[in-house]
Order: sequence, then C-alpha cells, then structure tokens
Amino acid sequence: MNNTTKMLITLGFIGIVAGGSLSFVNNWATPLIAANQKAETERAIFLVQPEAKSYERIDNLPFEAYKVFDENKTFVGYSLPYEGNGFQGKIRLMVGLSTDLNNIIAMEVLDQIETPGLGTKILEEPFKDQFKNLNSSSPIEWVKGSPPSKDNEIQAITGATISSKAIVAIINNGIEGLKKAELKGEEK
Amino acid sequence: METVTENPSYKLELTSSPHIHSRWSTQYAMWLVVISLIPAVITAVLIFEWYQLVIISVSIATAIGTESLIKYIRNRKLTINDGSGVITGLLLALILPPNFSLFGTVIGAVIAISLGKEVFGGLGYNIFNPALAGRAFLQASFPVAMTTWTIPNFAVDATTTATPLAAMKFDKIYTSFSPLFLGNIGGSIGETSALAVIIGGVFLIAMGVVNWRIPLSMLIGIVLFGGILWLIDPTKNPDPVFHIFSGGFLFGMFFMATDWVTSPITAKGMWIFGIGISLLVVLIRVYGGLPEGVMFSILFMNGFVPLINRFTQPKTFGAVK
Amino acid sequence: MKKQVTLLKEYTKGLWEINPVFKQVLGMCPTLAVTVSAINGIAMALATTFVLVLSSLIISIIRKLIPPQVRIASYIVIIATFVTIADLVMKAQFPELSKSLGPFIPLIVVNCLILGRAEAFASKNTPVRALFDSLGNGTGFLIVLFIIGSIREILGSGTILGFHIMPLTFEPWLIMILPAGAFLTLGLLMGLANFYVDHKKNKERESIIEKFRSSKQLPTIETEA
Repeated sequence: MNNTTKMLITLGFIGIVAGGSLSFVNNWATPLIAANQKAETERAIFLVQPEAKSYERIDNLPFEAYKVFDENKTFVGYSLPYEGNGFQGKIRLMVGLSTDLNNIIAMEVLDQIETPGLGTKILEEPFKDQFKNLNSSSPIEWVKGSPPSKDNEIQAITGATISSKAIVAIINNGIEGLKKAELKGEEK
Repeated sequence: METVTENPSYKLELTSSPHIHSRWSTQYAMWLVVISLIPAVITAVLIFEWYQLVIISVSIATAIGTESLIKYIRNRKLTINDGSGVITGLLLALILPPNFSLFGTVIGAVIAISLGKEVFGGLGYNIFNPALAGRAFLQASFPVAMTTWTIPNFAVDATTTATPLAAMKFDKIYTSFSPLFLGNIGGSIGETSALAVIIGGVFLIAMGVVNWRIPLSMLIGIVLFGGILWLIDPTKNPDPVFHIFSGGFLFGMFFMATDWVTSPITAKGMWIFGIGISLLVVLIRVYGGLPEGVMFSILFMNGFVPLINRFTQPKTFGAVK
Repeated sequence: MKKQVTLLKEYTKGLWEINPVFKQVLGMCPTLAVTVSAINGIAMALATTFVLVLSSLIISIIRKLIPPQVRIASYIVIIATFVTIADLVMKAQFPELSKSLGPFIPLIVVNCLILGRAEAFASKNTPVRALFDSLGNGTGFLIVLFIIGSIREILGSGTILGFHIMPLTFEPWLIMILPAGAFLTLGLLMGLANFYVDHKKNKERESIIEKFRSSKQLPTIETEA
C-alpha cells in the first residue's frame, strides 16, 4: 500500500469514528441542553414577575419579549430581556413590566462583566430594589448623591455611575422598543 | 555563598573601580529625598489631622520590616541603611487617601517592597517604582476605600469629598486655583498641596538629586497635550493649569517619575519618558474611565525604560554607524 | 531505548518532577484564566484530565497505525472529539459550571499539555504507560489549579469552595480575582517552586563538596558554580 493511501485511510477512519461518536453524544446532550436553557429563561422570566405562572413568547419582534399570565391565565404583564453596553462589556437584564408598560415591577441582572466590587453593586438588593414600582410612562432617570425625589428616578451607585447609567439606558431602550411594537399592534 | 574577598586567606582586599569616593552615596541622596518630603508631610497634618502621621509611620515601619525579613530569608546582607525602604514607605503613605485603614497600609507596604522591589533582586533591579506598584495593588484590590476621600480641614464647601479631578470628570465642576495651589482639596495625603510639593521638588533639583529634564519634559508635555485638547473644546476639557495643579501630577513629576532606578539614564531618553507620561496622563484623565492617571502613566512608562535606554544610547566618540 | 521505569514512577513524576504547570509550563491559558475560584480550577482540571487520559490512551493504542506525516492531524482530531464530548456533557449536566468556565472548555483542544503528552509520551509508549503518565500529569495539573484557585478565592472573595472562611471584617482583595491576581499568584508559586529546587540542589552540592574536602583534604578555594 502506498504511503498517501495509508495516510488517507488513517485520517478517514479516525474522522469517521470521531464523527460517529460525536453524533451519538450530541443526540443524547441536545435535549438536555435545550431543557437547561429553557429552565434558565423561565427562572429569569418569573423572577421579575412574582405573580406569573405561565408565559408566552411574543412573535414578530426584533427582540425577545414575553407576555406572562397568572394562575387564572389572566394577562399580568411583560417580561423583557434586554441588553446593552455597560462599563466593560455587555449587560443583560430582565425587566418585569405591567400590562400598560407604564410600571416596572422588578429588574434582574442576568449577565454582566462590570468591575468587581464597584460595578458589580448593580447585582445587589439596594440597587435592584430601587426599580420596583418605578413609573416608566416617561423614560426613567438617575440622580447622584441624593435620594431620588420623583417616581421615575433611581439613585446611581457611588463609584459606579457609568454602570448605573448603563442600566437605566438599557431599560429605557428596551421599554421604548416594546412600547413601539406593542402599542402599534393594538392600534391595528 | 562566600565571595573571594571575604576569604580570610587573602591578605589584600580587592574591589573594582571607582576608588575615589565623593560625599555622594545612595544613602546621602535618599536622606535628601526624605528632607524634601517634609513640607508635604507638614501640610498633610495641617489639612488632614495628626492621624496621617500614624499611617506614614506604619507604612515606613512595614516597608523596613518587610525588606529585612526578605533579606534574612534569602540570606543576603541587610540593606536598610541605604534608606530606600524608608523612602518607599514614606512615598507610599503620601499617595494613599487620608485616613486609609492601617491594615490596608500594611498590605500596600508589604506588596511595594516584596513585589515592587525584592522579587526583582532588590534596589537597582526593580522595573517599576515600588511605591506606585504598592498603590496600584491597593487600587485594584480596594477600589472603594482607595477612592474615599476625607474632607479637608479648611474646606469651604463641605458637601463634597470628591477630588477636583473626579468633580471635573463626573460633574463638570471646576475647582479654582488657590485651593488647588495650597492643598485645601480632597486628595491623597501628601499630594494635595501643590506649594509643599513644589518646595520639596525644587529643593531636590537644586541639590542635584534628581535630573531636571524629567520634570521639565513632563511640564512641557502636559501643557502641550492638555493645551491642544483645551483649545479644541474649552467647555469639555480642563485647561493645562488645572491639569498641572490637580491630582498627583506634581507629586508624581518630582518624586515618582524621577526615581533613579526606574527612569531612563540618557538625556534624550528622559525627554521621551517625561513627554510620554504626560501624554498618557492627559489621555487617561480626559478619555479614560478613571479620573486620575498619573500612577498608571508612570508605571506604564517605567516598563518602557529599558527600551528607551537602548534606543537612545549615545554614540561612542569616533564610532561609525 | 532508555531504561524503563516503574509504572508508579510514570504516575508520580507528573505530580512534581515534570509537573505540567511548574516544570513543563504548559496549559498556562486555563491556569490563568479560570482559576478565580477553587471549584472552577477543579472542574477545569478534571475536564482536561478526562481529555488527556482518553486521548493519550487512544493515541498510544493506534500509535503504530498512524503514518508519521499525519500524526499531528490525527492527534488533533482525537483530542477535539474528546473535548467536544466533555463540553457537551458539561453543558447538559452542569450548566452552571459550564457557564462560568465559558469558552475555556472548548479551548482545551489547543491546550499544549494534551498535544505535548501525546507527542512526547503516548506516541512512543505502551497504552498502560500512557495511561499512568496522563493520569499523573492530570493529577499534577489538578493540584496546581486547585492551589491557585484556592489562593485566589480565599484572598479575592474570602471563601473557599463557596464557604465563608475569612472573618467578616476581612475585605476581599479584588485584585486576586482580576487577571493581574492570576499572574501574581502563578508567578509567586513558580518562584517558590524554583526557590525550593535551587535550595535543595545547593544543599546537595554542598554536602558533596563537604564529603570531598573531608576525605581528600584539598585546599578550600571555591570555584564558580
């Protein structure tokens, strides 16, 4: 047998065996991975909608958004995952909104790579709790140094103004996008 | 390990040249540096109370202790007498925020001496300024504590503790010239008073301890680069005078950038080094995420010193390229 | 052919003598990148060991069938297969861990340690020896990653394997969970390891010189080592 043929046969054989075993493992793993991802999305959706029991993805949107329902299948609001630029990289949030989109129910940070100790304060309760029951009929705003005075304001974190500003901007963009899409839909 | 000269079987002591000694020694220069820092220490006490002396003492004591301990473990001769440990401890304390925790000060001094100096082989071999290395470690470790500033004693406006640079960067509030010059502002222990720093720095240059080229090139650099940005947009960018007198620029210019070990040895190299630092300072202050960039600029340029030395080596007389 | 050593020696040499991190200085990327916590270090090392052991074994079994011209290509295909398997299994069974290790599991493919052992050992030795060698290297890798991960987790977060062990007043040194902390920890540990080796060598040499002096009574001039 000449050398080139031998090389081809060896590589071909290894390739076939490798491909075969990979497809076997992949068949086993794919449903599990999908289930994991679904569980994670569900957990995040319900995290910002305490009353929710079921959800449904809104179709025909340029981004992800979910309508959520309580145990009687009544429409109670929206869960909106949205992302944008933070101080060091992408921040991904989940925002819970009321049915008319004019009230924020809660906010959770799903992914972030902010500065440990400073920017990561956006993960802590004192900051996140500020977003509960925030009026979102107009864009929300941030203040610095003093407690917020209006019902659409939050106080930025000392030393992490940029991260705080980024969160506010992401939420505003998300709500604006959803309002545009949903309200237009209702007019039709 | 024994060296040949210490072997008792030799009658003659052998040392290499130079054999003529002047009053100049590492020790002499180091004590001059300590003297030059006295005005900054005095103003620190005036502006931020006596407690700063405790921080300074703890920092110096830890620096000396760490150096002795490492020399002992590595079985080397004690080098405390050269005064460099004292200087590192003193400089580190002066660039910490006022009322910084003593535990943090100890960590900073240990890191400054061990990772900043001794891992490279001790004084003369270190690449980075030890005091700045210690501060950089603290800055990365405790970002909140390292940016918590104390209200100065004679503060007119007691509501804000931000440094002038932070106030400028985040809130667009300018600090007027006289508090910047006298030091009645938020900032590190020894760097707030431009007057005290200038007195010490001029003394060092007059005594010939530090070369005037580095401070001068840094000044020219910051006027040049700060000035260009200021002329482009005076409403957004601070003017060069503000750049010079705010933050740690003057302190870094006189006491950090001029460190013998970590600055270039050639005249041309010193100009490149100084202007490079100023360019980075302006870039970080105006475009960076942090309000102040003197520390990182000097450390960054420290890393280039071997390269700068190599490329600016003067030609030997008569040599043909 | 060099003298055959015992199987036990093939295993233990990976722990210290040719430790992947300290002595071979291979696999630096995961060593630095994922060791923000002890559990990450363990998971990374276990995944690497899984790939290392199985690929070494397979390569050793078929080493005589692979033409030398295509051996690297064959090794990479075999290694990549096991890495993909490890990645899929982790995604399916340990989604949290897989998320925190991010792209570094797929990147095991290019970990020099695995190709290094395949080329330097598995392709020249019997499957049993390759098994012991790769297990030893994997264990050595695991120990070092666990140590680095623990140091960084204790100082950077005040916890070990998720349990709080530092006093409440302890303020975490955030630098330790930043990339700079990885370089500092690895550098200091390597320095310590070298310091220890030097120290031992010096002692040995001194004792030999001492023996020599006392037996032959030669003049005591020390020469440069």
